[in-house]
Amino acid sequence: MAKILIVDDAAFMRMRCSKLLKENGHDVIEAENGLMAIEKYKAEKPDMVFMDVTMPEMDGITAVSEIRKLDSNAKIAMLSAMGQQSMVMDAIKAGARDFVVKPFQPEKVLSTIKKLIG
Amino acid sequence: MKVEFMNPFISSAISVLESEVSATIKKGRLTLETGDFLSQEVTVLIGVTGKVEGHVFYGMKEKTAKKIVSAMMGEELLVFDEFAQSGISELGNVITGKAGIGLEAAGFPCNLSPPTLILREGTNISTLNISRILVPLLTQYGEIIVHVGLREADEDE
Repeated sequence: MAKILIVDDAAFMRMRCSKLLKENGHDVIEAENGLMAIEKYKAEKPDMVFMDVTMPEMDGITAVSEIRKLDSNAKIAMLSAMGQQSMVMDAIKAGARDFVVKPFQPEKVLSTIKKLIG
Repeated sequence: MKVEFMNPFISSAISVLESEVSATIKKGRLTLETGDFLSQEVTVLIGVTGKVEGHVFYGMKEKTAKKIVSAMMGEELLVFDEFAQSGISELGNVITGKAGIGLEAAGFPCNLSPPTLILREGTNISTLNISRILVPLLTQYGEIIVHVGLREADEDE
């Protein structure tokens, strides 16, 4: 089972995603913006990260770049309502390894975990 | 205001409400509105910039918002607290994000602001002379009115 960091400014989404992951046996850490995500990543060394895009303080794409500077092997998937092609391309260029578009299907989230960390 | 800008929002709202809360939806009559927007009891506001610009509003009664978030949670919420507000804002965000993909596919890529929640009926919001199309969506949770006021970025109305 993995330690997973969920980064989303919407408390509702963090809770919903967290519930799904815990029900599937994972440990969950939460952060509500990109800056907090970097601090949590440094402190907790999660196995993977689900990252929203649009957030206050620091957006998800910037946070992905910063985390990849700390850990070039960081396994980060975006989890966002903003699935426009340009957004997906920016996320991949920043170092994200997958992009899950909201509304998310639980199976898609779980299969992304499997894909990224086995 | 072109109707083609409206369609991605309606199809997205119907698809998201069906998948997220198993809503049965009846689409009401489209109307055109100009002048300032007046908020409903609960209104999610999202700004749009890019090839098209303007605002999208999702308005409803508080009891409707509470029922929808309860359905999203799978348990009845007794109060429309910050958590429930986060849930209804996120629903607006997801509907608009999905519509943004549709607009991009139609040749109108755009950026969307984070959702703003207005919790007071009758708040007056200027939409800078952009006319709006309103579509009521009737569901088992109550009525949600989708207001789309968009124009091409270099279009003067």
